[in-house]
Amino acid sequence: MAEDLHIVEQTLEQLGAETPERVAALFAEVRADFDRAFGSVTDEASWHALRDGWLGRKKGVLRLITENWLKPAGPALKPAAGQGLNELRAYVEGKKFGAFTASATLVAEKLDLSLPGVERALGTRHLVRQTLEEIERIFLRLGYAVVGGPEIETPYYNFEALNMPEFHPARDMWDTFYVDTPPGTPSQLVLRTHTSPMQIRVMERQQPPVRVIVPGKVYRRDNPDASHLFMFHQIEGLAVDHDITFADFKGTIEFFVHEFLGKNAKTRLRPSYFPFTEPSAEVDATCIVCSGRGCRTCKQTGWLEIMGAGMVDPAVYGFVKYDAKKVSGFAFGMGVDRLAILKYGIDDIQVLLQNDVRFLRQSP
Amino acid sequence: MKVLYNWLKEFVDVKASAAELRERLSLAGIAIDTIEETEAGPVLEADLTANRPDALGHRGFAREIAALERKRLKPLEIRLPEAVATPEPATSVTIDCPELCGRYTARVIRGVRVGPSPDWLKKRLEAIGQGSINNVVDVTNYVMYELGQPLHTFDYDRLGEHRIVVRRARPGETMRTLDGVERKLTREMCVIADASRPVALGGLMGGEESEITSASRNILLESAWFEPASIRRTSKALGLRTEASVRFGRGADPEMAEPASQRAAQLIVELAGGEILAGAVDAYPRPLEPLSIELSSTEIVRIMGAEVPGREAEAILAALGFEPERVPCESPHEIRWRCRRPSWRLDVAREIDLIEEVARHYGYDRFPSRLPPARQAASRLPHAATFDRLRERLIGLGYQEFIAVSLVDPARDETFRPVDAEPVRLANPLSEDASILRTSGVVSLMSALEWNLNRGQRNLRLFEIGRSYHLSPKGKPRETNTLTLGITGLAREKRVYPEEDQAREFGFEDLKGDLDSLGALCGGFAWHEGGPQWLEAGRAARLKLALDVVGAELGFAGLLARGVAEEWKLRQPVYLAELALDPMLEAAERAAGRRRFRPIPRLPGVERDFSLVVPEGTTFAQVREAVTAAGVAEVTAIDPVDRYRGGQVPAGKYSLLVRVRFESPEQTFTEEQLNDFTSRILASLEQTLGATLRAK
Ligand SMILES: [Zn+2]
Repeated sequence: MAEDLHIVEQTLEQLGAETPERVAALFAEVRADFDRAFGSVTDEASWHALRDGWLGRKKGVLRLITENWLKPAGPALKPAAGQGLNELRAYVEGKKFGAFTASATLVAEKLDLSLPGVERALGTRHLVRQTLEEIERIFLRLGYAVVGGPEIETPYYNFEALNMPEFHPARDMWDTFYVDTPPGTPSQLVLRTHTSPMQIRVMERQQPPVRVIVPGKVYRRDNPDASHLFMFHQIEGLAVDHDITFADFKGTIEFFVHEFLGKNAKTRLRPSYFPFTEPSAEVDATCIVCSGRGCRTCKQTGWLEIMGAGMVDPAVYGFVKYDAKKVSGFAFGMGVDRLAILKYGIDDIQVLLQNDVRFLRQSP
Repeated sequence: MKVLYNWLKEFVDVKASAAELRERLSLAGIAIDTIEETEAGPVLEADLTANRPDALGHRGFAREIAALERKRLKPLEIRLPEAVATPEPATSVTIDCPELCGRYTARVIRGVRVGPSPDWLKKRLEAIGQGSINNVVDVTNYVMYELGQPLHTFDYDRLGEHRIVVRRARPGETMRTLDGVERKLTREMCVIADASRPVALGGLMGGEESEITSASRNILLESAWFEPASIRRTSKALGLRTEASVRFGRGADPEMAEPASQRAAQLIVELAGGEILAGAVDAYPRPLEPLSIELSSTEIVRIMGAEVPGREAEAILAALGFEPERVPCESPHEIRWRCRRPSWRLDVAREIDLIEEVARHYGYDRFPSRLPPARQAASRLPHAATFDRLRERLIGLGYQEFIAVSLVDPARDETFRPVDAEPVRLANPLSEDASILRTSGVVSLMSALEWNLNRGQRNLRLFEIGRSYHLSPKGKPRETNTLTLGITGLAREKRVYPEEDQAREFGFEDLKGDLDSLGALCGGFAWHEGGPQWLEAGRAARLKLALDVVGAELGFAGLLARGVAEEWKLRQPVYLAELALDPMLEAAERAAGRRRFRPIPRLPGVERDFSLVVPEGTTFAQVREAVTAAGVAEVTAIDPVDRYRGGQVPAGKYSLLVRVRFESPEQTFTEEQLNDFTSRILASLEQTLGATLRAK
C-alpha cells in the first residue's frame, strides 16, 4: 500500500523538483514502491486494498499525483509530469490484480520442504566402468580405435611375441594363472596377465598407422590385499607409424595426464624395463592426494606411478613382420582400478569388486 | 638389493647425499624404494629391474653413480698373496656340460682357521641384511655384494678325490642342500660333483655334506658362470631362489669369475689365515665372444625425436664401459660410434639398447614432447553404442551395475552351469573358491546378492555385463558376453505421502517389465514357459527374440528356486535373469536399422472396455488374437486392465477387463461404426474362446 508514500501528498514545488529529470526520478520512486507492494501481496483482501490504494477515485495514488503534482505544475514541469503520470497509469492498470491469488486450503496445509520428494530409483554405472569410459574418451579424441581381445590367451601372445621367451627373467614380473588344459590339447593357455597381447594381435592383422587402446580384464596370481586384486582392468595403448618418436610418446602421455587428472598435474618419466619396450619408462603423475607436497599415498615423493610404457622394442616388430628400420611406435599400459581408487580416494582396492550397493550407489 | 652408501665410496667419489642419489638414480632407471639410516651409514633399498644384474653388487651399482657424473670407476685393486707350490696339482675341474656352465674356477686354500669375522665385516653385512656366519663364508658373501659374483666354498677334505666335475644330474640322483632339504634332481639341472656324488647345485646352493664347518682346515673356492635360462629353470623346478640364483639367473659377468676368486682368496687369507696353493684352475670352455655394436646419431633422432649432443652421448657410453669410438660416415650431420659390449652388460646387444643407455642418462625430461597427428577416425568397440543404450536403460530402470571377479568356486558355479558347458579350470589357483572361470553370470550375481543381503541391504536391483567362459568340446576357450540381472526386496518402499503409503515387493511382473523394456531395443522378446532347474518351475521363462526366425534361446528369467535360495541362505524371494548379449546386440542394431516412424494421428482415438468372462486357462495372448481376428483394421491397441476371480464369476472361469483402442487417420467414428466394431469383436471372442460379457 501507499501509506508510506508521502511524496504524493506534496506538490512538486514542495518536493523541490525543479527539472524534468527530477520529476522523472520521483515517478521512478513511486513505481518502485508499487512493485514492492505488488510483489508481496497474496490473498484476496490485500489485492483489493492494493487496487483501491492505487486506483481509488478519491484517494488513490494516481489521483493524488494528478491533484498534487500535475495540476499545480508550472509550464516547465507540466509535460514531464503528464508523461510520467500516463506511463505510471498504464503500468499499474496493466497489472493483473488477483490473478495470483493463493488457494487458502493449500496455504493452510503447510508444505514441508524438508521432506524428501518421491525419488525414482536410479541405477549407476560401476566406478571402474566410468573410469574405463573416461579414459577411452580421452584417447578417442586423439584418433585411437578401441579394440577388445580374449582373456584366455596363449603364452605366445601373452609372453613370447612380447619378447619374453620361456624362462625369461622378466616373466617373474607377472605371476601367471595357467589353465588346466585337458590332455591332448595342442597348446597351453594362460589367463592374460596384461592387455598387451592385443598389441601383437592388432599388428598381425593391420599395417601402420596403428592407434589402438585395449581395455579389458587381466589376471595376476597375487594374493589380494588393499592394493592388489587377482583380477583387475587394464588399458593398453599402442601407436605405431613411420614417424613416431619418444617425443610423441611424451606428448600423448602428458595430454592424457592433463585430461584425466587435471591441468595442474605434471608428468614425469622414469627409465624402467619391460621386455617389449625400449627405451622403457614408468610414468609418474603429480600425487592427487597431496598435489605433490608428499603424503602417505605417494610415500612422501609427491608422485604416483600410473603406468608402464615405452617405445615398442624392435624385437616385437619381428614377431608381426613389421620392418623395425622403417616403423617406430610407443605402447603403454595402465591399471584402471588403481587409477580409480587414486582419483576417488578409496583406500582399499578390494571394495571395487565386492559390489556392496552402499559403494555402488556412490558413483551416480 | 640393499646398498650401503659408504661402501660405494670405495669405487667412486660420491658427492651427492643419499637422498639426492635416490632422486637422480630414479631418473636414470635405478629405482630406490627407501633409505634407511644404520650404524654403518645410510642404506638404499634398490628395486632393480630384471635386466640389470650388473648392479647387484656395490661396484656395479657405483658405475651408475659414476655415469651420472660422466666419470669412470676407480680401478679394482686386488693383492693376491703368492701361491705355494705343491708336488701334485691340488685339484682339477672337468666341465661335462659347457652349455649349462660356461666357466668354472677353483682355488684351494690350505690351513685356514674358520672363526668369527672381524667387526667391520660383520657390520657391513648386517647393514645390508646379511647375517654373519663365519669368516670364510662371510668373505664369499662380501665379495658377492661387492662385485656381484656369487662364490661358494667347499670343505676340500670332503671332496672325493679332491676334484670337481660339473655335469648334468643323473636321473634319480638326490642331494641334501645347505638348507637341509633333500632335493630330487633331474637331467635338466647342473650339479657340481666330486669324483662320485653331487656336492652342490650349480649356481643355486651348496650341499650340506661338503659345507664349511668350524673344523674345516682346507677349502676349495668356487667362482663360476652358469647359463641364465638353465638357472631359472632349475630354480623354478625346485622352488629355490637364492642370492646366487638371482644373479646367475639374470646373467652374471663371465669375466668377473676370476677376479672375484682372487679378491675372495686375498680376503680369506687376510682374515682366516692359510695359504693359497698353486694350480688354481680356470676352466673356461666358452669364453664370451666380443660384441661390437654400432650407434648412429640419426637413429637416436629417429627413436627419441631429438638429438643428444655427440660429446654427451659419448661421455655416457664411456662411463658405462661401452668404449665408444667414432667411425667415419658419409653424412656430415651424422655421428657414428662403434661400441664394445662390456662383459657385465649381457643385456645390451643392439643399437636400440645403446639408445636407451644414452637416453636414460641424458635424461628423459630433456627430450621434447609433441602430440602426434591423428591418422584415422577414432572408433569404439563393436556394438559400443548399443551397449550404451542397454546400460542407460538399465540405469534408468534403477539397476546398479556391478563387476565381479570371474574366478569362482566350482561348487557354486555348478548349480547354474549351462548344460554341457565344460568349465575352464586353473592349473594353479590361489584357492579352491577361485579356481575356475565362471560358466554363467548368475553365480556372480548370486554372490553379489548374498554379500548385500548379509549386510542388511535388502532392496536390490543389480546387473552385470561381463563374460562367461567355457571350453569347447575340442578344448578351445570360449568367452561369451552375458547380461545378468537380479531384483529382490521392495519394488516400492512405503513413504510419508498419502499416495505412496503402501510398500510393494518385487514380483515376476517387475522382472518381466524391465526385461521387456530392454527387449524393446531389439524388436521385443518372445516369452515361453519353462527354464533351468535353479528357477522355480512355476515362475520361470525362456526368452527368445520376437523377430528372430531361427528362434535361438537368449536365456532365462524367473524366481530363484527355493532349494537354491535356502542353500545360499537367501531369506527373501529373488528374481533373476541371464541373457546372451551378442544376439541381443545384433538384433538391436537390426531393429534400429529397420525403424520407420508412423505418422501421429490427427484425430484422437476412442477406447472401449470389454468386461469378459473367459474359461480358466485362457491366456491374454489368446484374447488378443481373438480381438485381432475380428478384422477391425482401426484397432491400434489391446490392453489388459483388470483381472478378477470369484464373486459373481462362476468357478472355472475368470473375468478379464480388456481395453481396445480404435484410431482412424481420416474420420471421427460414428456411434454405428463403434457398435459394429464392438459386436464383431465380441462375436470373435465368443466364437474362439467362449468368452461372454460379464453381467453388469
Ligand atoms: Zn601424495
